[in-house]
Amino acid sequence: MLQILIQGLLLSGLYALIAMGFTLIFSVGRVLNLAYGAYLLIGGYAYFYFSQQLGLPKIAGVMLAGVLGCVLGLLKYQLLVKRVQGVHSAVEIATLILAVVLQSAVVLIFGDSSKILLPIVPGVERVASAAIPYSNLVATIISWAILIGLYFFVRLTHTGRAMQAVSMDAKGAAISGIDANRINMITWGISGTLGAIGGVFFASYTQLYPGMWVAPLIIAVAVVIVGGIGSIIGTLVVAHIVGFMEIIVSSWNPELRGVFTMLLIILVLVLRPRGLFGREEIH
Amino acid sequence: MNLRWYHFAAWGALIAAMLLMPRLVDLGLMGRGTLRTMIQACYLAMFAISWDVLSGRTGYISFGHPFLIGIGAYGTAILSKKFGVPVELSIPLAVLITMIGGLVVLLPALRIKGSYFALVTLAFMELMYQLVQVIRPDLTGGTRGLSGIKTLTRGAENGYMLAVSLMLAVALGCWLLMRTRFGTALWALGQNEEAVSGSGLSTIRLKAMAFLVSAFVAGLAGAFLVHYNGSLAPRAMFDINSVFTIIVAALIGGAGTILGPVLGAFFLTFLLEWLRPFLPGAERFLVYGAVALVLYMYQPKGIYAIIEGGLKRLWGRA
Repeated sequence: MLQILIQGLLLSGLYALIAMGFTLIFSVGRVLNLAYGAYLLIGGYAYFYFSQQLGLPKIAGVMLAGVLGCVLGLLKYQLLVKRVQGVHSAVEIATLILAVVLQSAVVLIFGDSSKILLPIVPGVERVASAAIPYSNLVATIISWAILIGLYFFVRLTHTGRAMQAVSMDAKGAAISGIDANRINMITWGISGTLGAIGGVFFASYTQLYPGMWVAPLIIAVAVVIVGGIGSIIGTLVVAHIVGFMEIIVSSWNPELRGVFTMLLIILVLVLRPRGLFGREEIH
Repeated sequence: MNLRWYHFAAWGALIAAMLLMPRLVDLGLMGRGTLRTMIQACYLAMFAISWDVLSGRTGYISFGHPFLIGIGAYGTAILSKKFGVPVELSIPLAVLITMIGGLVVLLPALRIKGSYFALVTLAFMELMYQLVQVIRPDLTGGTRGLSGIKTLTRGAENGYMLAVSLMLAVALGCWLLMRTRFGTALWALGQNEEAVSGSGLSTIRLKAMAFLVSAFVAGLAGAFLVHYNGSLAPRAMFDINSVFTIIVAALIGGAGTILGPVLGAFFLTFLLEWLRPFLPGAERFLVYGAVALVLYMYQPKGIYAIIEGGLKRLWGRA
């Protein structure tokens, strides 16, 4: 029981972090960024390269992965998304192609086989027969810190509120003197950084291989959609529902682990398309 | 339908050219390997046509097309291998089951559209992938999949003739269907759904028809592909790369046209083959994807539109 509680909390924190970067783009740009999974991939591999192949300090590896994710996000916005913006299916398809291209780039550089990441913080804590690797604990604490920071950033700062405004009504925001392009750039940058850092933790939680981005992408999508677009609280709550559901189901039958997440997405999308906590769309 | 003499001429020329390909092998102008590559291209072309009927026209982008293909493939494989149903019966049955699967995908499309629909279809595919391995692995073969499925043809030439006749029949059938009022209505659905329902047409019925036609083609091609390969594996079937290949083939060729996806499928399959000597593994998708991305950004309407534009220019100048 305690084992389930602790593992559920650890996994949910990770999912919340991954989903947060995705929800930012989805709510501000209304862009379904399928290449978001590629940030996770690039983040994981960048950390592996910098800290395990070049032997830089681990904290520097995480930072560099974040920077790389940020650059990637900005480049993608400038070169790809901006050019096809307005046509949703075009953005989805272009980002899907990009994700596959980046995946093969990783295969080309690092090979097809999976890599094992050394734990970011070594050591294991035992609490009443439940083993908690420090790495997972650190990942959870960092993701909570980032989430709280992000929540206050979006709520309290001028830029954060401008992001909210653009996500609610782009025209209204433009009339109020908000430069949508600048806000979009900031959002894509933050999203890339969050994705890459999430990727480092996710890779150390599972393993590092070129196809690792698909499962967390689907989970991020599930969390965001079930939680409701633009709702940070909703994202947080649903990340915990999905995380705990996976842990409980896999303690009962590990093979069915992902099935309920998929069923949840399908059911919620069909029955309540705006999500559990989302607001009505303004057209 | 508005058919003209040059339509008949163009289709006649295409069918004749495709059916005469094996003669090139006899003459020594082409290797047998090329014929096998063309078989792959034919099946990819059918999948792309199926995707195009559903997504290229109506704007309901499906990211889960392998869901439908997989039902057809698993359907006939299980029926023929595990229950001893003759292939003549198991393929039509599998196609029928796939069409029921198409109606399952239709359910979300009645309420949601755009990005949300794309996601549900992706979730359908992932769900299918996980369920196939868990539920009744004695029937589905679990993670390993099935092998030793009865093959219909022997040798490259017979396989090619079967694949190409199927592909041409599907292409011609869909092309004719899309020239009817139904095809026009589907295209209008993609432009403006409110306007279509405002004109007194039932959008539900139109969507249902589109999903059924798409599922029919997907199931048919999936079933015959299994009986050509003789095996199937869940990881290769329900893979994001296979979604990617189908969508890119339809888009690069030209979505919303029937010949476009066929062109795209042949172009991409041969591109992948030509890259093989230089890049043996999954790295090929790097070049492949980059070519696709550049072509898509340059001309979202695809090769078909590029050729059409070129022809118009020639015509205009001459």
